[in-house]
Amino acid sequence: MSAIVNLSQLHKDHGDFAERVFKMSGQDVRKCYQCGKCSAGCSVHIFNGMDVSPNRVMRMIQLGMEQEVLNTRSIWACVLCSTCTARCPRDIDIPRVMDALRIEAKKRGITQKFKNANVFHDVFMNSIIKYGRVYELGLFIGLKLKQSGNLFADLEMGVPALINAATRLPKFPPKVKNPDEIRKIVENCKRIEGEK
Amino acid sequence: MRYAYFPGCSLHSMETAYDRSVKAVSKHLGIELWEIPDWVCCGASSAHSVGHLVGLAIPAKTLVKAEKEGLDVLAPCAACWQRMVWVNHEVNTSPKMKEKISKAIEEEIKGTSKIFSIIDGLAAVGMEKISHAVKKPLKGLKVASYYGCYYVKPPKVAHIDDPENPQLMDEMMKAIGAEAVDWPFKTECCGTSLIFQDLDTTLAMSKKVIEMAVKSGADVIVTACPVCEMNLDMRMAQINKRFKTSFHIPVVYFTELMAYAMGSTPQEIGLDKGHCGETKSLLAKIS
Repeated sequence: MSAIVNLSQLHKDHGDFAERVFKMSGQDVRKCYQCGKCSAGCSVHIFNGMDVSPNRVMRMIQLGMEQEVLNTRSIWACVLCSTCTARCPRDIDIPRVMDALRIEAKKRGITQKFKNANVFHDVFMNSIIKYGRVYELGLFIGLKLKQSGNLFADLEMGVPALINAATRLPKFPPKVKNPDEIRKIVENCKRIEGEK
Repeated sequence: MRYAYFPGCSLHSMETAYDRSVKAVSKHLGIELWEIPDWVCCGASSAHSVGHLVGLAIPAKTLVKAEKEGLDVLAPCAACWQRMVWVNHEVNTSPKMKEKISKAIEEEIKGTSKIFSIIDGLAAVGMEKISHAVKKPLKGLKVASYYGCYYVKPPKVAHIDDPENPQLMDEMMKAIGAEAVDWPFKTECCGTSLIFQDLDTTLAMSKKVIEMAVKSGADVIVTACPVCEMNLDMRMAQINKRFKTSFHIPVVYFTELMAYAMGSTPQEIGLDKGHCGETKSLLAKIS
């Protein structure tokens, strides 16, 4: 993010961004008065999982910093624990805003800020579309092959934990009578959302 | 009492200790569970990040089966539970969204089945009845009840109990004779599925929870969510390695302690081999 922000230009080009976020998420970010309670209670932010704190994400939306906010890691790192929402004095459901921004970023192909999160969502969706339920072993293998930087990290779990986990992990995909159900829903949703 | 049971993917995969202990404690308390036939994944943690409608329609497909049976749902996984609660919330507040979801699942969703978590589902039986069902009170066992976030936040939608200091699980632990440790991180987040995306951040989040439970003098942490369980139990050795700590506190499902106190054997409910961390010290304390 650049250090200098041209507010007049932002207002001219992206002045309606907060309104569009409102339409996407049902949350009026314009109400935020920057108390910072959301960031103070956000565990992901506290442990450096975000590049921009949640209250700054809110402010960036207000200012029309559309490109900048869609290019943050924070919108992907939010785990929807909703501690922020529980404490927000302005009654803003921040995770719903984060979700809406993720959906928008994905639509525009902006995923490079947190590739591992995007890979996770892709692999997860593929798993449930294929089997109707999560096939955990397939999911783990898919993640290990496609994500970067943690191929051997799980070895730190130690031998006893790994053996126990491996014993408990079903080796074959789950069997349901209707594995196509989720695929149909996903296709229907695409069609319905395209109708708007 | 009869519920439409939605176990979810984890309980049918690695977390059979949860599935088995939920069924056992339900049996001890006379709760009948009708497993929703051909239930599908609730979509968490990804569907809602892919699209708002798809995030609601996927859990709605399973929910509608419970509606048709005229039953309320019992969902022991926090993510499954919250995704279904969101479906009902949207269906009951937005006729337009109700129509869209119905279209997406090609069936009418009505929003008539209540969604119970295993915490409020069991608490609804009443503490007195729970105490009466106890055969082996867990005297002297100090339990840190870890609720996690999804059952109590955001409080306008997900609110089985107070978002900052819930009590239902603590009360149930007292009802089975254990001592409920008063501790501050009951609803702090463990990091959930961020574990598959950003290991460093998530391990730090989980470590904070374990550390506080240990500092508060607990012998055991009990959870009510398969993801909390996985992050705290399966990753404990990894946390110890990273942070040069030496935690060895057992992390089990609260339903395991309840079923055990009501007469189930550790083998029946997975209290023996259902966890990565050792449970021998725990079993020695309560047997």
